Amino acid sequence: MPVGKPHLSDKDLATIASWIRGDESVTKTAPKVDNTPLTQHDVIPVLLTRCAVCHGLRRQEGGLDLRSKASMLKGGKSGPAIVLGKPEESLMLKRINAGEMPPKQQLIVVGVKPISAGETEKVVRWIRQGAPEVEPPPAVAGTPQDPLVKDKDRQFWSFQTPVRPEPPQVQHHDRVRNPIDAFVLSKLEAKHLSLSPEADRQTLIRRVSFDLTGLPPEPGEVKEFVASKDPLAYEKLVDRLLASPRYGERWGRFWLDLAGYADSEGGKLSADLPRPFAFRYRDYVIRAFNDDKPYNRFLMEQIAGDELADYEHAPVITQELMDNLIATGFLRMAPDSTTEREVNFVDDRIDVIADEIETISSSVMGLTVKCARCHNHKYDPLPQRDYYRFKAVFQGALDEHDWVSPLTLEKYGLYFPGKYLPYVTPGATPMQLLEEERKRELVNKNLDVEIKLVQTAWDEKLKDLKKKVIEKRIASQPKDLQEDLRKLAATPAEKRDEVQRYLAQKFETLLKVDTADVKQDPAVAQEAESVEKRIKLLEYKAIPEPKIRALWDRGSPSPTYLLRRGVPTSFGPFVEPGPPAVLTNAKLTYEVAPPWPGSEKTGRRLALAKWLTNQEHPLTSRVIVNRIWKHHFGVGIVKSVGNFGKAGTPPTNPELLDFLATEFIRQGWSIKQLQRLISTSSTYRQVSTVSPDSLRLDGDNTLLSRMPLRRMEGEVLNDTLTFLAGRLDETHFGKPEPVLVRDDGLVTPIETDKGWRRSIYISQRRSEIPTVLDNFDLPPMSPNCIERSESTVSLQALYLSNNTMVKQLAAFTAQRVARESGSDPSAQITYLYNLALGRPPNPEEAKASLETLLKLKQLEPKKDGDLAALSKLCHTIFNSAGFIYID
Amino acid sequence: MAHEQCNHGSPAGASKLSRRAFFDRVSDGIYGAALASVLSRDLYGASAEPATLDGHRASYDLKPQVPHFSPKAKSIIHLFMNGGPSQMDLFDPKPMLDKHHGQPYFDKVAADLTTPEQSGGLMRSPFKFGQHGKSGMWVSDAMPHLTEVVDDLAMIRSMHTMHPNHEPALFMIQSGRIIPGRPTMGSWVVYGLGTENQNLPAYVVLDDPLGLPVNGTQNWQAGFLPPIYQGTRIRSTGSPILNLAPETPETSEIVQAGRQLLSRLDQIHKKTRPNQLQLDARIASYELAANLQMTASDALDVTKESSETLEMYGVGDPVTDSYARRCIMARRLIERGVRFVQLFINSQIWDNHTFLARDMKAASARTDKPVAALVKDLKRRGLLKDTLVIWGGEFGRMPIAQMENGMETAGRDHNPSAFTLWMAGAGIKAGTVYGATDELGHEAVENKVSVTDWHATILHLLGMDYQRLVFDQNGLKDKLTSVFDCRIVNEILS
Repeated sequence: MPVGKPHLSDKDLATIASWIRGDESVTKTAPKVDNTPLTQHDVIPVLLTRCAVCHGLRRQEGGLDLRSKASMLKGGKSGPAIVLGKPEESLMLKRINAGEMPPKQQLIVVGVKPISAGETEKVVRWIRQGAPEVEPPPAVAGTPQDPLVKDKDRQFWSFQTPVRPEPPQVQHHDRVRNPIDAFVLSKLEAKHLSLSPEADRQTLIRRVSFDLTGLPPEPGEVKEFVASKDPLAYEKLVDRLLASPRYGERWGRFWLDLAGYADSEGGKLSADLPRPFAFRYRDYVIRAFNDDKPYNRFLMEQIAGDELADYEHAPVITQELMDNLIATGFLRMAPDSTTEREVNFVDDRIDVIADEIETISSSVMGLTVKCARCHNHKYDPLPQRDYYRFKAVFQGALDEHDWVSPLTLEKYGLYFPGKYLPYVTPGATPMQLLEEERKRELVNKNLDVEIKLVQTAWDEKLKDLKKKVIEKRIASQPKDLQEDLRKLAATPAEKRDEVQRYLAQKFETLLKVDTADVKQDPAVAQEAESVEKRIKLLEYKAIPEPKIRALWDRGSPSPTYLLRRGVPTSFGPFVEPGPPAVLTNAKLTYEVAPPWPGSEKTGRRLALAKWLTNQEHPLTSRVIVNRIWKHHFGVGIVKSVGNFGKAGTPPTNPELLDFLATEFIRQGWSIKQLQRLISTSSTYRQVSTVSPDSLRLDGDNTLLSRMPLRRMEGEVLNDTLTFLAGRLDETHFGKPEPVLVRDDGLVTPIETDKGWRRSIYISQRRSEIPTVLDNFDLPPMSPNCIERSESTVSLQALYLSNNTMVKQLAAFTAQRVARESGSDPSAQITYLYNLALGRPPNPEEAKASLETLLKLKQLEPKKDGDLAALSKLCHTIFNSAGFIYID
Repeated sequence: MAHEQCNHGSPAGASKLSRRAFFDRVSDGIYGAALASVLSRDLYGASAEPATLDGHRASYDLKPQVPHFSPKAKSIIHLFMNGGPSQMDLFDPKPMLDKHHGQPYFDKVAADLTTPEQSGGLMRSPFKFGQHGKSGMWVSDAMPHLTEVVDDLAMIRSMHTMHPNHEPALFMIQSGRIIPGRPTMGSWVVYGLGTENQNLPAYVVLDDPLGLPVNGTQNWQAGFLPPIYQGTRIRSTGSPILNLAPETPETSEIVQAGRQLLSRLDQIHKKTRPNQLQLDARIASYELAANLQMTASDALDVTKESSETLEMYGVGDPVTDSYARRCIMARRLIERGVRFVQLFINSQIWDNHTFLARDMKAASARTDKPVAALVKDLKRRGLLKDTLVIWGGEFGRMPIAQMENGMETAGRDHNPSAFTLWMAGAGIKAGTVYGATDELGHEAVENKVSVTDWHATILHLLGMDYQRLVFDQNGLKDKLTSVFDCRIVNEILS
C-alpha cells in the first residue's frame, strides 16, 4: 500500500503508528525539544476549560479575562497576565506553576479539573513564541474543494436529492388505488405475486382505528361502517379518524420516542428529579400533530424556535411565539444530570450535548453522526471534524464553557440563569397574568393545607399503630417483664433512668418499629397506599409554575474545537459551525445570519433548520416518510430507520421511497396527507393472512404481499383496556397523571374520579415507568428511541393474567356489558366480542365462551356471582390473541 | 452442559397434552426449541443451535447458545458491594499509612475528591491485618469469615475505574461506560449464552428488601439489547416477581376454566392464521408464565435447606438473615441452570465517608458470614468448579481521612484510581493475589486492571470473545467493552 505508488517510508509508518497510539505517546517520546509553532487555538481551549469559569465571559475574578490574547495582555488588577516571549515573567504562569491556579480548594465548586503538566507546557511554549495568532480558517461547508469529503462520496443514494419517479405500469391495475399500489405491485409482480385480497370491513375499521387513534372503534361505528352503501365510506372514515383529537395523542407518542421525552432528568445521578415543565413540550407535539403542522415548520420550531421571531421585544406573546419557544424543548430532552447537580464538569456537559446531537441526528437526519465523536466515521463520509462543526451549530445555546444550570451558586459569586423561560398565556394582558398568578398561589396554598392535614392525620394514626405493635410484642414477653417494658416504651429516651437505658439496649429490636413493620398488616398497607394516592392526587391538582423548559441562543458562543478521540481535554483544530459537508452543495447551503436586525443571537441553529428543511435536502423527507411507513406496515422501506448511511439497509423499493418523499413535500410537508395516502391504498387494505405463495416468495413480507399481523403496543393496550371498561378520562393536555410506586416496584397510574388518562399523559419519570408500558416494550429513553423492539415474554402474560388493575378493568367492562346487553349470556358474549374485538364471535368461539361462562356462573359464589363470572370472561378475552393482535 | 442440570418435572401444561401435540404447538415459536431442549434432552441431545453472536439474529430468545470456545464457567454469582469498599481496610494492607498517619497528602488527590473541604491527612486503618490460609493472603480482621476461604479466591488489588462518583462508576462497572443506557454485563452474558432453564429467568437480580441500590433498576437494564435480556428482579420477600400471582386468589377451578377457555380461543384464532410465528411465541409465553409460578417458588424456597446449611449462612440471626437468604437463593438458582445472579444491598453500606471502623464493621457483619458460607457451600456441592463468584464494588477509597466533624467520625472519600475485588470458582487460579497499588494505596501501579479488562476476562471465562460478542446497533457493532482497549487478565486464570 498504496497500490501503484512508492511504499510508505519507515518514518511515515512510525508517524502513523505514533498517531494511532495517540497524542500522549507522541508528546512523551519528544517532550522538551518540541518547538512546533503554536497559535491561540492551541491555548485558548485549555484556558477555557481550566480558567474561564472565573476569568471569562460571566465572571472576571481580579478583573481578568483569559479568553483572548488581547485580554491576557490587558490583564487584571495585578497587571498583564502574560509577557510576550517571556513565560517565566508571565503572571499567569507564575500562579499556575506555584500551584495556586486553578485554586485546588475550589476545583469541585466551580467544576474544574486541575491543569495538566502538558497543558501548562503548551501555554509556556505559546508565550515563548510570542503568542502568535492566526485568522480563523475559512468555512468549508458547501465548497466543492472540501479536502475531507469527495464528490464521489456525494454519489451514495441517500445523499442525492430524491427525484419524483413515474408510477410504473402494472398487470393488476384494477388494484391500483393510488401510486403507492403501482410501486408495490410492480415489485410483487416481478416475483409473480400480487396484493392479497382486500380485508373485510370489520377488519379494516379495527385496523385503521387503532392505527390512527390508538383506540378501537365503538360497536356502533363498526355497525354503521359495515352497513354503509357509500362507495367512499372508507375514505370518509379515514378523514374522520385523522380529524379526531385522539389522533395527536396516538401519533404524538411516535415523535416523543424520537425526541426522547421523559418527565424526569435522569442522567448520571440516580435521584432522577422530576422535569416539572416537560409536559408543555409533550402538549405542543400533540397539538402539532392534530393541527397537521407542516413538518418543515415543525422542525424549524423545534430546532430554532428561539431564532424564528423576536420574543423578547414582542408587544404581545402570541400562541405562535409561545409555541416557538416550547418547541425548543426538543433540544432539552436528553438525560441531564447537570440540572440537578450544582457542581458539574465540562465532561458531563459535553455528554449532554452529545446526547442532544444524537437525538436530532438519529431522528431527523437518519445518520449515525454520533460515531464521528471520537473518530472519522467508519462507513460514512463523516469526518470527525464534521461532528464538531455540527456541535458548533449548537454552541450559542449549549456551551460547555458557559453552561446553563438552574441553580445559583451565589455563595461563590456565580450565577447561572435557569434552563427555563416564562410561560405566558398567549394574548394575556399583564393584569390577566397577575390574576393567574394570584389564583395559582391561592389554589396551591389551599392544597398545601389539605395535604398537610391528610399527612398529619396519617402520621398520628401510624404512631398509634406502632404503639399497638409494641404492645403486642410486649404481651409475648415473660409476665414479670411486661410492666417494665410498658413503662420503658412510654418514657422518652432522654428521661430514662439507668435501668431503663440498660433495658432499652437489651430490647432494642423489640422497641424499634418502623413503617414497614406496621404495614405487615394488609389493611394498614392498603390504607397507606390510599393515603399516598390521596396526597399525590392533591399535588396533581396544584397549578404548575408558569415556566417552560427551553433552549435559546445566548449570543456569545465559545470557540469550538475538535476533541481528539472524543476526549474533552484532547483539543484539536478550531472549527466553524456547519452541517456535514457531504450534505452540502451549491443548492443546499448553510448560511449563518443574525435572525433579525440587531439580534444578538448567532442564528446558527436557524441556519441549520433552514438547511434541513430545504427541499433539496436528500434525507429530511425520506427519513420521515420512511418512519411513518414503518409505523403503518411494521417495517420501513429502509429497514434501518435510523441509519440511511452505508451500514444501513438499502431501500427495498427505492422508487416508492422517493415518490413518497417528493409527494410529501408537494403536499406541503403534511403528515396527515401522507397517512391519508397510505391508509387508503389497496396495499394497506389487504388481509393479513399469510397465503402459501406469500410465505414461499415473500416470507418476511419485504414486498408487502400482505398486511402484517400486529400486536398492540403498550400504550394502545393500556388505553384500550381503560376505554373498553368505560374508565378512560379523555382530558387533553396538562400535568402528567401521577403513578403509585409500590414497594415491590409495581408502578400503576392513579385513578381520578374521572378514570385513568391516556398513557401519553401518564407520568414518564425514567425511574418510575408504569409496569404495563415497561413490560410491553416502552424502551428507556437513552437519549431517545429510534425504533422500539417488540418482545414476547412471560412477564407480559403475567401482567395480563394477574395484575390487579387489569382485573379491575375487566370488572368494569363486565358491568358495562351487563348494563348494555342485558342478562342473556349469549347476548353478553356477542356484545363483548363486538366491543373488544370489533366483530361478533364465530360459532366455535361463541360455543367455547358460552360453556365457560355457564360453568363460571356455577363456580362463583352466589353473591354477585353472575357479574364475577362475566368479569372472568372479559378478563380471559383481554388475554386472548384475538384481542391483542390486530389483523 | 445440558445433561447436568435441572430435572424439575415437566411444566404444567405438558402433562395435559401428548408430547407430540405439545411440540406441534410450540416448536416453531421463539421459545419452541428452548422449551423442547429443556423438556426432552434425549430427543434433542445436548447440542443447541449454532452460536450466532455476530450481532444479527432473526429473532431474540434465551435458548442456550454455543459459546465461542469451551467455557470454564457456566454461571455467575455477582455479589455486588455497593458504595466502594475500602481496599486498605480490607485486603490491601498499607504499613506506610501507619507510619505517615496524619501527614498531609491533599495536593496529590485533589482532582478526585468529591469533598475537598473535608479532607484531612493520611489515615491508618483501624483494622488489624493478618495472613491466612495456605496462600498466606492478607485480610483484615474486619472479615473474620472470609479468612476461611482465602485459598479459593483470586484477589485483584490493582483495579481502577473512570469516575469518582457513584452513579457513573456504577454504570461503568455494570455496563462498561460511565453513561446510562447501555446493557449491563448480565444482559450481555445472557444475550450471548442464553440460559439452561427456560422456566426461570436467565438473569436474576436479588435486590435488598430494604431498598434499591443507587441507579435503581438501571443496574440490570438491557439498554439497547432486546428487553428479554434485562435482569429480572426477584424479591426475597413477598411475591418474588411482579404479577407472579394475583393479589386476590381465585379457586383452582376458576383458574382452570379461564385457562382452558383461553387455550381454546387461542387455538381457534391460530387455526385461521397459519404461519404467524408470533402467535406461537405468545402461547409459549403463557405456558412459561404458568410454570414460572411453580418453579420460581421452589427455587426460592429456602426452607428446603437443612438446618445445618441455614445456620452456616446465618439464617435466623437478624444481622445476617436477609443477605444469607439471598446467598442461598443464589445457589439454588444457579443449581437450576440460571445463568447470572446478581445480589445487591440497600443503598450503599460500603460508602464509608464517616465512622470508618464502626460502619465497615457493620457492613461486614451483614455480609461476611453469608459470603464465606456461599463459597464453602458451592465448593462442597461441586458447584464452584462451574460457577464464578465475584465480590466487589464500584471503586475504592482514599488513603486520606475525610472529616466532617473531626477525626473521631472520620471516614474515607471515593477513589477511582485503586480498588480491590476478588473472584472465586470456575477457571480462577485460587490463592492468587494480583496487581499492586502504590505504598499508600492511592493508585494502582502494578499490573493494572481496568474495569474493561475485568469485563473481558469474565466473558472469556464464560467462553466468549469480548471482541465477537457484539450487537448491531444501527450499523455500529457495539460491545460490553465499548471502544476501549483491553486485555484478558490471564494471570489470575487457572
